[in-house]
Amino acid sequence: MKIPDIDIDKLKKFKEKNFQDRLEFVKKYAQWLKKTPDKKWSSQQRKIID
Amino acid sequence: MDIDYTKREIRFEKELNNLDNLTISFTSILNKLDIKYVIVSGYVSILFGRSRSSEDIDIIVDKLSFEKFKELWSNLYKDFECINTENVKEAYTDYLMNKNAIRFSKKKEYVPNIEVKFPDTNLSQLDLFALSQRKKVILNDNTLFISPLELQIPFKFFLGSEKDIEDALYLYEIFKNKIEIKLMHIFIRKLKIEELFNKYIK
Repeated sequence: MKIPDIDIDKLKKFKEKNFQDRLEFVKKYAQWLKKTPDKKWSSQQRKIID
Repeated sequence: MDIDYTKREIRFEKELNNLDNLTISFTSILNKLDIKYVIVSGYVSILFGRSRSSEDIDIIVDKLSFEKFKELWSNLYKDFECINTENVKEAYTDYLMNKNAIRFSKKKEYVPNIEVKFPDTNLSQLDLFALSQRKKVILNDNTLFISPLELQIPFKFFLGSEKDIEDALYLYEIFKNKIEIKLMHIFIRKLKIEELFNKYIK
């Protein structure tokens, strides 16, 4: 079995990019939530938590 | 989101989830016994709609006498149980007075649970600030007290995990036009997180 080479710097960049994408989603989600009726967003949040 | 934010309180309505119900069930006992507390950490962002769950809710309770703690314990034990110990004296002396937190869950459940601690004044004065400047939240007809967002947001950046930074960014996006930005920047400077804050808050 050949173990693949690992470029840690590339993986770190991938991790950072992944995190940036999640932050972008969090920001967009917050903007969506602010203009969405309470009943609608909280019902969706409940589905995730419960 | 229809949110009424004033200097005194935050008022809003939502469909309650399991974490909300657990928190309300616990804090209603604290309210009933007139015990001063403040909710800190991740649940604050979940309360305001963040799309994630949590295994615990962190609460700082103003230091209590043993007598008062026993009263709290017996009131809690109708629905909750302590995960760490069943002995009230041990919970108070070995845990709380020794700067350790104790956890309460609903009976026969382990998670989610409520982590309770007394303010740690040796570590910093931040716990005391959060308690004294706590913000009242009226959620549907329930009253909760949370850490002031001007501290909560910078402190989440200070904690610094990816989850913490996401929580901080989320709270900032929701409340950026409502909170005291000047006060938030004082904590940003004091916690030495200017670089991190500037990196993620654009």
